[in-house]
Amino acid sequence: MKLSFDWLSEFVDLSGLTAHQVAEKLTMGAFEVEEVTIIGPDLEGPIVVGEIIEIHQHPNADKIRLTKTRIKEGEEPLDIVCGAANIEVGQIIPVALPGAKVVNRHDGSALLIKASAIRGVKSNGMLCSPPELGIAKNLQDPGQDEGIWILNKNGNRAASELVLGSDVLPLLPSKADYILHVEPRSNRGDALSVRGLAREVAALFGRPLKKPDWSLADLQKSLGEKTPASKFSKAIVESSSDCPYIALRVMEGIEIGPSHPAIAARLEAIGMRTVNNVVDITNYVMHELGQPLHAYDAKHLKSDNLAVRRATNAETITTIDGKERKLNSEMLAIADDDTIVGVAGVMGGKDSEISDQTTALVLEAACFAPAVVRRGSRLLGLSSDASLRFERGIDPASVRHASERAAFLIAQYCSKEGKAIVGPLIEAGSNEVEPGQVTLRSSQIKRILGIEVSPEKIIDLLTPLGFAVKGEGETIEVSVPSFRKEDVKREIDLIEEVCRLNGYDAIVPSMPAATMAVARPDDTLDLAKNSLTGMGLSEAWLSSLVPADQAGIDKQLAVEVLNPLSKDHQLMRQSLVPGLINACGYNQDRGRKDVWLFEYGRVYLKELQKENKSTGVREDNHLAGLVSGQRFKSINQNSPAVDYSLTKGMVENLLTSLNIDERKLAWRSITDSESNSLPWLHPYRTAVLALNRPAKPNPNKDASATSLFESNITLGYVGELHPRFADSKGLRDKAFVFELDIDRLKKERKQKKFAGIATSPEIVRDITADFDATDKDVSYEQVSKLIWKQGGSNLQVVELVSVYKANAESKKFSMTCRLTFQHPSETLTNEEIDKVLTTIRESLSRDLAASFRL
Amino acid sequence: MEAQEFEAKITALVASALSAIDNTADLGSLENLRVQYLGREGELTIMLRGLSTLDKAIRPKAGQLGNQAKIQIEQAHDGRRSHLYDSTLNQRLATEVIDVTTPGTRCLSGHIHPLSQISNEIISIFYSMGFTVADGPEVETDYYNFDALNTPASHPARDEQDTFYTNIGPSSLLRSQTSTVQIRVMENTKPPLRIIAPGRVYRNEEVNARKYPLFHQVEGLLIDKDVNFGQLKGTLSAFIQALFKKPVKIRFRPDFFPFTEPSAELDSECPFCSGKGCKTCGGRGWLELLGCGMVDPNVLKGVGIDPEEWSGFAFGMGLERLAMLKYDINDIRNFYTNDMRFLEQF
Repeated sequence: MKLSFDWLSEFVDLSGLTAHQVAEKLTMGAFEVEEVTIIGPDLEGPIVVGEIIEIHQHPNADKIRLTKTRIKEGEEPLDIVCGAANIEVGQIIPVALPGAKVVNRHDGSALLIKASAIRGVKSNGMLCSPPELGIAKNLQDPGQDEGIWILNKNGNRAASELVLGSDVLPLLPSKADYILHVEPRSNRGDALSVRGLAREVAALFGRPLKKPDWSLADLQKSLGEKTPASKFSKAIVESSSDCPYIALRVMEGIEIGPSHPAIAARLEAIGMRTVNNVVDITNYVMHELGQPLHAYDAKHLKSDNLAVRRATNAETITTIDGKERKLNSEMLAIADDDTIVGVAGVMGGKDSEISDQTTALVLEAACFAPAVVRRGSRLLGLSSDASLRFERGIDPASVRHASERAAFLIAQYCSKEGKAIVGPLIEAGSNEVEPGQVTLRSSQIKRILGIEVSPEKIIDLLTPLGFAVKGEGETIEVSVPSFRKEDVKREIDLIEEVCRLNGYDAIVPSMPAATMAVARPDDTLDLAKNSLTGMGLSEAWLSSLVPADQAGIDKQLAVEVLNPLSKDHQLMRQSLVPGLINACGYNQDRGRKDVWLFEYGRVYLKELQKENKSTGVREDNHLAGLVSGQRFKSINQNSPAVDYSLTKGMVENLLTSLNIDERKLAWRSITDSESNSLPWLHPYRTAVLALNRPAKPNPNKDASATSLFESNITLGYVGELHPRFADSKGLRDKAFVFELDIDRLKKERKQKKFAGIATSPEIVRDITADFDATDKDVSYEQVSKLIWKQGGSNLQVVELVSVYKANAESKKFSMTCRLTFQHPSETLTNEEIDKVLTTIRESLSRDLAASFRL
Repeated sequence: MEAQEFEAKITALVASALSAIDNTADLGSLENLRVQYLGREGELTIMLRGLSTLDKAIRPKAGQLGNQAKIQIEQAHDGRRSHLYDSTLNQRLATEVIDVTTPGTRCLSGHIHPLSQISNEIISIFYSMGFTVADGPEVETDYYNFDALNTPASHPARDEQDTFYTNIGPSSLLRSQTSTVQIRVMENTKPPLRIIAPGRVYRNEEVNARKYPLFHQVEGLLIDKDVNFGQLKGTLSAFIQALFKKPVKIRFRPDFFPFTEPSAELDSECPFCSGKGCKTCGGRGWLELLGCGMVDPNVLKGVGIDPEEWSGFAFGMGLERLAMLKYDINDIRNFYTNDMRFLEQF
């Protein structure tokens, strides 16, 4: 909310305080002032009335003259240098003294006045021209354009206000004001007004609040206390929980026109559009007292009453902003018989708004329930200054005061020929508020804040805000003023109030006593990231909100945002890889050929059967990567681009760095159904990492599931990007991707153990087998599994040395594996090894139809 | 054989060997000479083997001559070999001149995302103060995101965080704050407890240089006996000094959050202008770093913790905000575009 410093000064004595001091205090008192802006010229005293006594030529300059200017009767005049041509002895002029701030007439910036030497002659101030005091040139005699502002233009020093040494600022046509931009606080509806913030300022500075200087009763007397002719006489409230209190008032003899300049200036200063004198006054009072008001044109009300009731589902209203709105029973309406004339607390109706023809009006001041106003405002998508205040709660006890204030101002500024008629209050409901009673224990202040605050101090702090404090020692009884009843209900609310008013700086910092045993953090992620960055991949952070047409989304499992920001942020992702592919394209489009990225992040899948206490969504942590281009760059020769083998090798390195028990895992080709669900994968160049054993039953995973990450056996994949997908994303080079379910992979980690270093000799043997894959596919995984199975306890390493095919189409191929045997302590004999190799050969022949050349 | 004859023979052999050795031009022919004279079937070896056939009287003298000859030839060989080795090597070295100032062969090296870096830093500072990492779901329910955090449906604070709702159910939403984790931890763990919860949050806000529909927070919670506001100040002051690795002027400013009371905003003096006021701090001289406060008794009661027995404080900070300050990043979108030119600067 925008707070005018000048307006504030009507409620609290601000003498001697600057707007910035008040802003700082409010900020540190829980009402953050985001900025302070200036309306009008930024002037600061001392700028006083002076008289030119003597004028001499400057010894060192043609166009500059020396004056002796008196600023106090009976005192020696000051030496002041002046460059203006229009000065004469006897003129009364404004003098800015050292320390003053005026406007630089060349660029409008602030000009600080200092005593200084001008071309060798001392000058103790500055004679001011109109622009230097923020007055537009055209306000003055055009002839004086470049000259000093002559206050006694006709040569006589008549006006009593022109006392030498008196302040010039009150003589200026427009006064400067400071606007404090105060962040509204959702729990402090009472402070959304000049008066509310004045209470805070008064308490924070220990200054008294000013009493109102107006009286409606006195004004009514002077107007002859006439009663309105209108038959309007009733306020009806359907439910006191929706509307505890309403006060209506008929006013007649009204003439609509522009607002009084003082009111218009105030509203403009805080950025409010002015409409007409009556509407402006309702806004003025709302800002001043925090009570929203509405004025209806009495001519457009048919019945003798206004009723506050829930709207029905068939009803509509055209609001003041010209939009037709459908209402329903969740919204509170103001009704004139069967016509809705306003959405209570939100906005009035177009038909009954104040217009140029209005001569009589009904003024509404009410207290509507915060929840119902909030609901109505949300449903209509319509929020107003009024709804902002009602939602935060307004004080029923001050509704009547606000109505009087508005009536006073309307009668004063909007009356036709001075003959306004102010009707009596027409009320329904009750504006009585039981004061809240809260007990505050001294021991709790110490317990929560860590400092002692004496009961006397508590009284000093709370009383200025309207709290009545009784008691001493441990138990202090506090009665809460009506306007704070909503936010101060509990002891802790009072502790906060004491803490805030006493100042957060008064709390002494200390450290909590340690009573915790700290669990070791899981290092999986750190190890994985170290491994991947070591291999050249940089970490990406991708959006988890993805477009509705994202590839690979299983619609049945999709978590969808119902109120998306845009089409690009509509679904929760189910894989990290599409995002990495987009990032790759983004980088390639910017001329970057080598894109090596990984991400650790969540995927989100709707649970088909919602578990008890679950949110209905499974969130799994995945680790995915994309590589494209080269890893090494050297002069004269380029290393080959990354390929499938290198990518799979990186994943294998990653598994090693996590100490994953690889014997529990196996690689296999991707199935058709799996690759259908992950359309970015090359169907023949993708390997799936799966558990080697039947997994434990998992309620959220299904071993028979066809989609890869839905199965409780499969843990991830590595593969080449499908060329069609890569083309559709505009990728320029081949890219390879992997994705792992890191949560489940983590479970396969084992503790590292030193196995000793064998001193006995190794025996290394190669086995070359010929296969014919015409009838049955044969994979390295199958071959190595069989070798391990038959290799006995001394087999230490199985290494694929070569795969040979006569040509790419051939179904026949040979595979050479190098086997390393070693016993921890004994020397193995050739006979022992030959026996094992024979078993292996037999098994390969039997199970995989291998043949062996002799 | 007479002694003189033997001596003459051996002298001639030595002379021819030494001359041949001197004349060798490469290590290969030198090795051939070594074999020729000193090898198993070498000329000198054979001659020395013949010593046993000599007269007993001249044998000692001949033996002495023979050994001297062997030493002479060996020394000549060794000397020649080291000379030839050096000269051949020097020739080769001269052909191996390269421009040593050409750049080295660089391989891509991976970079950790700045948000990870700052998150890890924050976690490790709090870890050293006894906090452990906790986690919670991002697709949440309004109970955890609002109700349990003392923000009932009618509270205007609900509107201050424009929340995304989902198709999972009427109460399902994307969490707008990591404070949800406080509730989940307190539901499952008895105090005392100290947790830190980094995570992703979502708000329905238009994308611009300062805002993105998702961002990241780190939430902290400490519940114990006799925890007070002074300890909140002490803990967070220590954290800020550790994060920025230098003394930073900070202040605790009153603020309002539904789930803490009293609540505070921790501001630091703007590092860009040293508090004088600049564009980054909007002329205020201070920058908001994090929100904090004493856990509201209603929140504790809601999870079955007696607020008369236990008290605690909570805090939450935006990772992006801290990273932008620390690394001087001016546009939040940089974090999610994953431009390699950005990532490789961290």
